[in-house]
Amino acid sequence: MPGKVAIVAVAQNAGAESKDNFYDQAYVVTKEVLDKVGLTREDLGTIVSASSDIYHGGISCANSYYWETTGAFLKNASRQDGESLFAFFYGVMRILTGHYDTALIISLCKGSENPENDACTLMYTDPFYTRGIGLQETMAAAFQMRLYMERYGISEEQCAKVAVKNLQNALGNPYAHKKGRYTIDDILNSERIIDPLTAMQVAPKSEGIVAVLLASEEKARELTDKPVWFKGYGSSLDSFYLGDRDLLDGQLKNAAERAYKMAGISNPRKEIDLAEITEPYAFQELLWCEDLGFCDTGKGGEFIDSGVTQKDGDLPVNPSGGVLANNPYVSRGLQRIVEATLQLRGEAGERQVNKEVKTALAHGTHGFAGQCHAVAIIGS
Amino acid sequence: MGRPVAIIGVGQTNHGRRMDVCYPDLVREAVVRLYEETGLNPDDIDGVVSGTMPSMMEGVALTHFYFADAMKAAGKPILKTETCGSTGVSIAHTAYYWISSGMADLILAVGHEKMNEGDSQATMTTVAEPFYQRYFIAGAPGVFSMQSQMWSVRYGLEEEKVRDAAAFISVTHHDSAFDNPYAHIKIRVSMEDVKTARVITYPVRLLDVCPNSDGACAVLFASDTMVKKLGLNKVAWVKGVGYRGEEYYFGDSDKAVWQSAVGAAQQAYNMAGIKDPRKELDVAEVYNPFTFQEMMFYECFGFCGLGEAPDLVLKGTFARDGELPCDPSGGTLCTNPIGATGLIRTAEAALQVMGKAGDHQIPGAKTALSHAMGGVDQFNGIMIVGSEL
Repeated sequence: MPGKVAIVAVAQNAGAESKDNFYDQAYVVTKEVLDKVGLTREDLGTIVSASSDIYHGGISCANSYYWETTGAFLKNASRQDGESLFAFFYGVMRILTGHYDTALIISLCKGSENPENDACTLMYTDPFYTRGIGLQETMAAAFQMRLYMERYGISEEQCAKVAVKNLQNALGNPYAHKKGRYTIDDILNSERIIDPLTAMQVAPKSEGIVAVLLASEEKARELTDKPVWFKGYGSSLDSFYLGDRDLLDGQLKNAAERAYKMAGISNPRKEIDLAEITEPYAFQELLWCEDLGFCDTGKGGEFIDSGVTQKDGDLPVNPSGGVLANNPYVSRGLQRIVEATLQLRGEAGERQVNKEVKTALAHGTHGFAGQCHAVAIIGS
Repeated sequence: MGRPVAIIGVGQTNHGRRMDVCYPDLVREAVVRLYEETGLNPDDIDGVVSGTMPSMMEGVALTHFYFADAMKAAGKPILKTETCGSTGVSIAHTAYYWISSGMADLILAVGHEKMNEGDSQATMTTVAEPFYQRYFIAGAPGVFSMQSQMWSVRYGLEEEKVRDAAAFISVTHHDSAFDNPYAHIKIRVSMEDVKTARVITYPVRLLDVCPNSDGACAVLFASDTMVKKLGLNKVAWVKGVGYRGEEYYFGDSDKAVWQSAVGAAQQAYNMAGIKDPRKELDVAEVYNPFTFQEMMFYECFGFCGLGEAPDLVLKGTFARDGELPCDPSGGTLCTNPIGATGLIRTAEAALQVMGKAGDHQIPGAKTALSHAMGGVDQFNGIMIVGSEL
């Protein structure tokens, strides 16, 4: 790696619904993250935001709208679409070139001003062949879940366990939208949305304006005593048509392998202390754990049964409650970075895990059955 | 700063009203041409950056999904850059930073738009928020006409002279488009034709405005080590990048001296070590969807003093055989598939310094500027390329 980049501060405004308008919400989070390290807007080097027009309350060219409220007036800023971990990586790159010593990464998605998530994901389809049949992300996930259960004998109960765990973890997270103590039966008996998915195994539509402040090594040491270092990143995109893909052999393996290579990780199960994963559908946490190399292929069910991924387990997965608890579509990847950072710094409050966390993984995915994945590794 | 980065190849579609291909096939056409031109193949690529204007212009959101196969990006790292009209140059910037940071050696940048599948002005109206601005900012011409008026009033420019200069730009660019095999609009127009064309929004008339085009552009960026490894000698080195944005509300900023345009150019000049752009640049591909606005850009980029552009335009300073030729490709005025347009500017600048611009080559061009703008009159981005490292 050509140099080091650190996360020096994080902030978020997330949850079910905020009474603040988008503009103010963005300003508050931007100000908060800068204030945390005593940086002014004038000091700030560059800004990379993440947002998507389809998830932007009916305003196109999303970053036109929030430009100045995210501190970007007369600055060199840019924007990534769809996945906020893209913006995180772009910010890292901008610092590594030496052009900037600080970068604000901010992701903006105000769920309460958007239609239902799947009204938006329907627009990913091509207008000729798949839109007419109503294919959307939840339907694609249902296909994937069915295949997962049939090919590897994963049970519905094992999938539901993810929701039980994550919604319980969310009790400790003040930014969580959904939270509570539920049984496997509660999860399985909730409304069947698209078979085999039940309502409580599907992430809600939430708000999330999430910010991460990055700095070069030298600047980071000046700004904070607790820098969290960027260690590795990888992403990968899959083919478009579901029929062209094996839904259980996707691109997360590729993305993870790239991130591990950059971070010098050879045994992720041992070397990663905590993972924050994007699991908009409960079973996906099991599948993604396999693809991330935390357990063997087809063993995601046994993996959750073993208790390893519980908050007090050996490799806690989504101690924040994950995306099942809070799902601001575009922002969720960066929110995983924020949660992982808080854990690494010992600042996660009630959701802080009991073990020592030195290396953490943040994962983001968007698209049908995980068409695109991004993985970031950060460490203390 | 960072590692040196070069553009090593360009692929463009035949831009126009492309009812013969679907949107993914349009993208594929540019990408395939790039690979044919460079002799490389998708396995060599470390990552892909794509982008478009509001993706809902064509009714498909998050288009990197839809074009994963057309861009030959399946299994590849991906970034998706969108900054409204300036998307094209922002894509080029992303590719530049990716390589310059040391994170990649070969990056494919792809910009695309198939505007004839949607209603561009209706879509652009939704860039303005629904409470205050949407009622009067109807699409692009409204905003840019107001800006042109603001500029000519600020400098007390004689209306007739400004009108003549804008018409001159229209005539010369339309002529240039005949020398560009990829250009969309190819018509011969006279000064009189432009000055009597239908008014769109005063003072802008039909021949002062760009078309709606279908088109895609693919550009391959490489690190200096990769340039060496491939044994390439005709490449376009990235010398300067600059970008600035300003307030969302149209009335909040001075548009007559467009701060984001001034600032973006200055940032790029500083990086490239350029002090006198009119002398040091050999050619410029200015993003010019409107003739009047193009003159403002000349001033904001320091090609001439404030308020001086119309006189110099009429003297031929910025014509093909002038001191600083601008838009020898015919520019955005003749071809505008928005998400690709900025990248086409960068591609054209690269072709010029590589000596590969064909019939619209500016002889001996060594340093070239490319530009794009966007937002509610908010964003300007610059990339300067040169034949020497």
